[in-house]
Amino acid sequence: MTDMTTNDMGATASPQDAAVPGGSEEKRLGLWLTLPAQLLVIFIALFPILMQVYISLTDWSPLDGIPWYRAYELWIGLLNYADLANDPRFWSAMWRTCIVMAICVPVQFLLGLGLAILFVDDFPGRRVLYSTILVPMMVVPAVAGYMFFMLFQSGGPVNDILSFFAGRPVTIAWLSDPDLALFATIVSDIWQWTPLMFLILLAGMVSVPQDQQMAAVLLGASWWRRFRTIVLPRMKTIIIIAVAIRVIENFKVFDNFYIMTGGGPGVATETISIYIYKVTQQELIWGYVAAIALAILIVLSVVSALAIKKLRSA
Amino acid sequence: MTHHPRFSRRRFLSAAAQTTALVAVSSPLVLRPGRARAASDLAQGMIGGPTGFPGAERYQYGPDTPEGRAIEAVKALKAAGKAPERIVLGLSDGSIGQITQPFPEGAPSVKDLWEQETGITLDIVGVPNGQEFTKVMQDVSTNGGGFDIYAVEWNRLGDLAETGGIIALDDFVAAHRPEWDDPERGYVNGKQGVSLLNEYRGTVYGVSLDGDFQTWNHRTDLFNDPNEQKAFADKHGYELAPPKTWKQHDEIAAFFHRPDQGLFGSTDLRNQGWGYTNWYQRYVSMDAPNQFLFADDGTALINSEAGWQATQEYVDSLSHHSPDAISWGWPEQYGNFGNGGAAMTCAFSNLPKFLDNPANEGSKVTGKVGSHLPPGREHDDGISARTVLWLNLTACVSSQSDHPEAAYLLLQWLGSSRIYSWMTANPSGYFDPFQLANFADPLVRETYHDYHMDVVRESVERTVPTINYPGATAFHNALDENLMAALTGGMDAEQAMANTERQWKRIARRVGEDKLIEAIQANKAAWPTVMDPASS
Amino acid sequence: MQRSLSFEIFRYAAIFTFLALSLIPTIWMISMAFKPIAEWQASGADLTWWPENPTLDNFRFIFGESGSDLIVALERTAGRPILASLLAATFGTLIAMVAGTSAAYGLSRFGAGGNLPLALIQLRIFPPMAVMIPVMIMWAFLGLIDTWYGLALIYGIVTMPFSFWLMKTFFDDMPREIEDAALVEGCSRWRVFLKITLPMMRPALASSALFVFILNWSDYLIALLLTTRDWVTIPVYMASLSSSMTGQLYGAKAALGLIAAVPPVIMGIAIQKQLVRGLTFGALKE
Repeated sequence: MTDMTTNDMGATASPQDAAVPGGSEEKRLGLWLTLPAQLLVIFIALFPILMQVYISLTDWSPLDGIPWYRAYELWIGLLNYADLANDPRFWSAMWRTCIVMAICVPVQFLLGLGLAILFVDDFPGRRVLYSTILVPMMVVPAVAGYMFFMLFQSGGPVNDILSFFAGRPVTIAWLSDPDLALFATIVSDIWQWTPLMFLILLAGMVSVPQDQQMAAVLLGASWWRRFRTIVLPRMKTIIIIAVAIRVIENFKVFDNFYIMTGGGPGVATETISIYIYKVTQQELIWGYVAAIALAILIVLSVVSALAIKKLRSA
Repeated sequence: MTHHPRFSRRRFLSAAAQTTALVAVSSPLVLRPGRARAASDLAQGMIGGPTGFPGAERYQYGPDTPEGRAIEAVKALKAAGKAPERIVLGLSDGSIGQITQPFPEGAPSVKDLWEQETGITLDIVGVPNGQEFTKVMQDVSTNGGGFDIYAVEWNRLGDLAETGGIIALDDFVAAHRPEWDDPERGYVNGKQGVSLLNEYRGTVYGVSLDGDFQTWNHRTDLFNDPNEQKAFADKHGYELAPPKTWKQHDEIAAFFHRPDQGLFGSTDLRNQGWGYTNWYQRYVSMDAPNQFLFADDGTALINSEAGWQATQEYVDSLSHHSPDAISWGWPEQYGNFGNGGAAMTCAFSNLPKFLDNPANEGSKVTGKVGSHLPPGREHDDGISARTVLWLNLTACVSSQSDHPEAAYLLLQWLGSSRIYSWMTANPSGYFDPFQLANFADPLVRETYHDYHMDVVRESVERTVPTINYPGATAFHNALDENLMAALTGGMDAEQAMANTERQWKRIARRVGEDKLIEAIQANKAAWPTVMDPASS
Repeated sequence: MQRSLSFEIFRYAAIFTFLALSLIPTIWMISMAFKPIAEWQASGADLTWWPENPTLDNFRFIFGESGSDLIVALERTAGRPILASLLAATFGTLIAMVAGTSAAYGLSRFGAGGNLPLALIQLRIFPPMAVMIPVMIMWAFLGLIDTWYGLALIYGIVTMPFSFWLMKTFFDDMPREIEDAALVEGCSRWRVFLKITLPMMRPALASSALFVFILNWSDYLIALLLTTRDWVTIPVYMASLSSSMTGQLYGAKAALGLIAAVPPVIMGIAIQKQLVRGLTFGALKE
C-alpha cells in the first residue's frame, strides 16, 4: 500500500511542478477552478476532524445521555489511544485488511493486465466480449454479497461445480470456516473489481504508441522483453493509477464482506471498516471510535506525505 | 421478534393492495374524528374496539379498561388542544403488517381503528431488519427528532434509558392505569413480568409489544414414525420423544442427523449475534434452579466448570447441524425448516404460525410441526429446563417527542390485552403473544396452533432474561465473539470463558459497577424457579 | 496486420475461460431473479442452475404486487428506493464531476491547489465509517439526514477524488499545443477551457462519470447511516427483503439486483462510443 501511494504521488504530482508559470489571470482562474473542490474538502474535513480530536480525548458514548459537545465531562486524556495501542482486535483487523489488499490487488492487476493485453487490438467479437467482461462492475456490491452468500453455501453452486469436476459430492462449508470464509470474501472482491482494473489498464495500453503491433509483439520470441521495455514503462502512470485506486478502495472494503459474513465467523473476515462499524453501532464507545479514526488518519497522512517527499526528491 | 415482513394469506392480498393504496392517500382522507359508528356495531357497554367479524366483542372495551381509558384520555387531550396531528412510530418492517392489515375478514386494521377513534394519524416508519437500534441511536445522538415512538429490542432498554433518549413513563402509568399485571389478562408472572419487560431499574421505560420467548419445535412426522421409534429405542434404550434433557436432545439430534438426505438433527442457531441464545439455554440450566451469569456482587460466573461444559456442549452440537451453521441466520433456519431440512430447532414462537400454515404453499412441513419445552438438566430436585427471552420488541417514547402523553396512550392502547390479542392473532407480522389473555384467545390459538400455544406459555414460565443491563450489547458481543472463536476452533472452551470474563470486567468498569449491580439484581428477580419432575 | 492462428486460439480460450468463471455469480443472480419461490432454497442434489418454472413474480413482488407463489406482501415497494438511488447517485456524480474536473484542470494547467492531490487521496482512502459519527451530527444539524440532496452531497464529496485523479491524468497527457494555439488567437483561458478543452475531454469525462456513478450507485454504508425512511436507497432497502415464511427472499433480492444493474449498464452502453474514444485518448499525443 505504501509503495503504491508513493508511486502514485510522485508520478502524477510531477506535471504540476512543471506547470506553466502563468500571469495573474491564469493564477486567478486556477484558484477559481480549484475552489469548489477546496471548499468541499474543508467542509467535510474541518468539523469532523475537530470533533473527532475532541471526543477522542473523552470516554464519551451516546449512551451517557449527554450531547457530544459536553463530552469534556468525561475527559480521559490519551487513554483511548493507549487502549488502541493494546487493542488486538484493531490491529488484527488492520493486518487482515492489509492481507486482503495484498491478495486482491495483485490478482486483480495480473488478471486485468492479462485481459488488457488480449484486448488491445481488434478481433471479431471484441466489443461484445469487452462489454461482457465489465458486467460484474455493474452489479451492486450489496447484491453481490447476497449472491456470493448463496454461492458459497455448502450445498450451493460453487460446491456443485467442484463436485462436477471432482466426480464426487463436495460439501465444503466455505463461510463457516475462518480461512475459507476469508478466501470466499476475497474471491467476491476479485470478481467484482477485476473489470475495473482491466478497463483502466486497457485504456492505458491502447494509448501506448505502436499499439497495433502489440499482439504481434506478443508472438515474437522477445515479446516479454519488448513488452517490459516498451509498453510497461509507457503505461507506468496508468498502472500506478489503477493499482492506487484499488488499494484505496480495498482498504475500506465493507459491503460485500459485511453482507456475506458480517465479519465472521468470529472476526475471521473483519476488515478495518467492519471493525469500526461494529464498535460504532454495537459497542457505541464513540470516543474510542474517534481515536481509531484519528490514528488511521495520522498514519495515512504520514505515509502519503513521506511518499510525496521521497518522490519529489527522486 | 423482529425479522419477518408481514405475510398475508392469499385472501388478504387484495385487501393488502387496498390498504397500501389507502395508506398512500391517507393524509387527505384523515378520518373525521366525530364520525359515530352505529352503536349496534359494538357490544353492549362497549365504547370502542374492532367490529365486523364474529368474535369481535372479545376485543372491544368499555370505559373502565386500559384501552377505554387510553382512548378517552386521548380525546380529552384533543379537546384541550394538546394532541398531535400524527404520531410517528418507528417499527421493524416485518411488524407493520399487523397494524396495517385488516384481520380477520371484515375487520378494520389496527391503524384504521386507532385513527377512527382518536382522529390522530398513525404514521409508521419501517426500519429494516436488525437496524432498529442503529436507527434509534442515530435519531438520539443527532437530535433528529424523527420519531415519537421507537420500537427496539427489549434488552436495549437499559442502554437506551441511559442515553436520555427515551422518557420514563411512570407518571403516565399512574394516571392511566394500563393494568399490565392483571392476573387474568395481563403479563405472565404478573408484576415480575412487567418489571422484566417494561422496566429498567424500577422505572417504566417501555411497553412490550412482543413475546420472543425462544421455543423448541420438532417434526411430528419423524418423531411419530414407528420405524424411527423402533430404530431409536433399539439404539438408545428409551422411547423416542421430544427431549427433556440436553443429553437426550443431543442423542436425538445425532440420531436424525442425515445430511446426505437433506436432514439435519437440530438447527438452533450458531451464528454471530444470535447463536449465543442457545449457549444461554445450556448454561443457565447448569444449576438448580438457575446457573446465573453474575453473582450478586457483580462477579462474572461464567469462567467456571458450568461455563466450560456449556461451551463444550455448544461447540460439540455443531456435529448435528448444517455444515453452514455458523453462517446461518434465522432466514436460513426458517427456510430450511420449512423445506423439511431439520428434525428439531429452537426459534421465535412464531415459527409454527409461519411454517405450519396451509397458506404457506412453499412450506413442506405444514401439519408436521410439534412443539416441546426446552431441554434441561437433572438436578437433585428435578429438571431445570430453561429458555431465553431474546430480541422482543418494546416500544419507548422518544424524549424528542412533542406529545409524549399521546404517544404513551397509543402504546397503552396497543399493548393492552384486548387490542394486543386481536393484533397478535393477525398473521401478517411478528408481534408474538405474551399476555395471559393472548394465550387464551381463540383467534390467537388458531393462528399459532393449539399444540404450540400451551408450550409457549409453559416456556414463558421457564424463560431466563438475557442481559438487559446497561452495556448489554457490549456484554453480549464479548460473549458472542469468544463463543464464535470456540465454535471455529480458534480457542478451547476454557479459554473462551476466561476471555469473556476478562472482557466483561472491562465493560463493567466502563458502565459503572454500582449501576450494574443494581441492574443485575433487578434482572435476577425475574429468573424462573420452576423445576420439572425428573424423567422416569 | 499479422496474427497467428495459435495466438487467436489462445486469446479466445483465455477470454472464454475468464468469462466462464466471472459470469457464474451474474448468471446465478439472473437465474434466481426468475425462479419461483420453491426453487430458491434448493441446495445439494436439488440445486438447479436454471429456473425450472420461470416466473416474473419476483419482479411483480418488489413493486408491490403479490405473485401467485409469494405469500408475503411488502410494506414498502422498491419504487421509491430506486428513485432515491437514481437521484442521489446522479447528483452526487454531477457534484463530483464538476468539482473534480475543474480542480484537476486548475492544477494541471495553472498549478493551483497543490494541496489537493494529497488532500483528496486522504479523503478517498479514509474509511467513511470512521467519520460517520461527526458526519451524521453535521448532516442532522444541516437538516440533510434522509434527503436525496444530503446523500448526493456526501456522495459528490467522497467520489470527487476519483474524478479529480482520473481527469488530472487526462489533462496531464493532453497536448497543450491546441490550447496554446487558441490562446494565441485571442481566446480567454475560460473560453479555451469551456470551448476547446472540455469538448476534447468528452470521452474522458464520460468514462470518469461512469466510474463515479457506479461508485455512488453501489454505496451501502453511507446510505445506511444517513437515511431513515423516505430516501432509503436500493442496497439499504435490500435488507427488507426477507421473511419468516421463506427466509431470505433471494428471488426478490436477485430481481432487484438485476434492476439495479440496469442504470450502470445503460450508461455503459450509452457512452460506449465515448468509452472507446476515451480509451484511445492518449494516442493523441503522437
